[in-house]
Amino acid sequence: MTDTAMRAGASSSGLLEQPEVDAATSIENAASNAMPAPRKPGRAEINGSVIAGIGLVALIALWIMAVRFLRVPPYILPAPEAVLNALWSGIAISPASPKGYYLPLWSTLSNAATGFAIGSGLGLVLGSLMAESRLVEKLLMPYAFALQSLPKVAIAPLVVIWFGFGDGSKVAIAALLAFFPVLINSFTGLRATEPERIDLMRSLSATRFETYRIVKLPNAAPFIFAGLDMAVVYALLGAIVAEFLGAQQGMGVVITQAQAVSDVAGVFAALVILGVLGIALHSSVRRLEHRVVHWAHRGKR
Amino acid sequence: MQAAPSVSRDAGPARASARSLIDVRSVSKTYATASGGNVHALNGVDLKIAEGEFVCVVGPSGCGKSTLLRMLAGLDTYDSGTLALDNRPVAGPSGDVGVVFQAANLLPWLTVRENVRLPLRVGGRRASADPRIDDLLAMAGLGDFAARYPYELSGGMQQRAGICRALARDPQILLMDEPFGALDALTRERMNMELQRIWQANRKTIMLITHSISEAIFLGDRVVVMSARPGRVLADLDVPIPRPRSFDTIVTHPGYARLASEIRGLLNAQEGAAHD
Repeated sequence: MTDTAMRAGASSSGLLEQPEVDAATSIENAASNAMPAPRKPGRAEINGSVIAGIGLVALIALWIMAVRFLRVPPYILPAPEAVLNALWSGIAISPASPKGYYLPLWSTLSNAATGFAIGSGLGLVLGSLMAESRLVEKLLMPYAFALQSLPKVAIAPLVVIWFGFGDGSKVAIAALLAFFPVLINSFTGLRATEPERIDLMRSLSATRFETYRIVKLPNAAPFIFAGLDMAVVYALLGAIVAEFLGAQQGMGVVITQAQAVSDVAGVFAALVILGVLGIALHSSVRRLEHRVVHWAHRGKR
Repeated sequence: MQAAPSVSRDAGPARASARSLIDVRSVSKTYATASGGNVHALNGVDLKIAEGEFVCVVGPSGCGKSTLLRMLAGLDTYDSGTLALDNRPVAGPSGDVGVVFQAANLLPWLTVRENVRLPLRVGGRRASADPRIDDLLAMAGLGDFAARYPYELSGGMQQRAGICRALARDPQILLMDEPFGALDALTRERMNMELQRIWQANRKTIMLITHSISEAIFLGDRVVVMSARPGRVLADLDVPIPRPRSFDTIVTHPGYARLASEIRGLLNAQEGAAHD
């Protein structure tokens, strides 16, 4: 038999066999169609917020009772009602009023956001350079850790000398605090790329930047988001610490002013605002992460 | 063309064109381990694979068969000997070679279509041939899953997407490194059938590494048996079973049992030697 004849024979019986293969395929397809759809927030998460709510109620009840029955003086621990009053007087006011929370909150938030953007952006760029180059890693890593082991609050006065009492020093300290977690996390995440994925890109003759952009960066995304999650809270912290050292406006100023007139309820109210803000920032980073890194949250491989 | 006594050569469809696309001559390789020792992985491997031929390589664990494949893919270096693809010495990864990795190795952040299209948009290429990608996906029965993410696919479907990706640049040569090792037995047989169908449709030159004797016989025009480390070629056996083959009928073919026991005997002797 000639080769061609053999091929023809092979392909004609291949055709006969086709339905069988297709049936097998469709069985498999049907099986994976039947796979559970991506899970919606289910009982576990609802239970989580219920538990958190119960905890909050219990805490406030404990607080009320402590103030009532242990007779804690209001300049140590104000009653929840007093804190609520202070909160209300800051919220139920014209947004343009200097006595409200809106102007200081805006000033603190915008400085923290700018610092966060600069610090985490720098962290990502330097973390990437360090992950890509052993030379850069050896050169920069010791300084990164030296910087991190310094108490940032102790550097703050120096930063104020350099950048003045305006927004510059707030942005700089926020950036300083946001920088490190993103640097280390992006470095770690980029280095954690599976060698098989690098091999894949090598086998396709991909350039270094293509490998970085298509494989390493998405691979590091869960790490980077963990860093951003920390960085966003640190940036807020940095902005407020800077305001303690001297500022015209900001939540740090609200706290120091309340403290200066022994308005403990006012201090508490400002702290509540900052706490809520911290939670909001954290959960918006988490939400963004779930959108961007959706593949890491649903079933492995 | 070799004369194979007592068996018909009809099964080897590509023998007529004797141009060898893969040509490995006395290749040796020693690499250093992390603990400071040396591992002699390959010792004078010779292997020729003709255009359009499907060759399966079996051998004991750690015999260097994956190393051989990585060398052909341009991912590993070799110490001595020559390694040529289509008469050109291997100097690095080549666009003419598609690699199918163990466990699919899809990128979880890309959809199935984007994964399969990946070879067309890296390495200085600008993607344009999208219809081809959809043809490939349709051929592999993945047409309806193009916009899904890998985690939404079963293991068998993921590996089919991996094969589509390796075919995206329409390479002459397909190198497959234990592609179905992670699948259950039934899915694996089904994938073997599909691979046979794909290969019969486009006649790539394939070198496939496997641990499974039945897979090797089912798929291969030839089965190459390698020795325990340092790896070399122990036997190069023709598979005289006509295509298309199916698992139902292949076991009744007289050549099947004879080949399987011959390969098993060779491998068992090697396992014994490796454990001495």
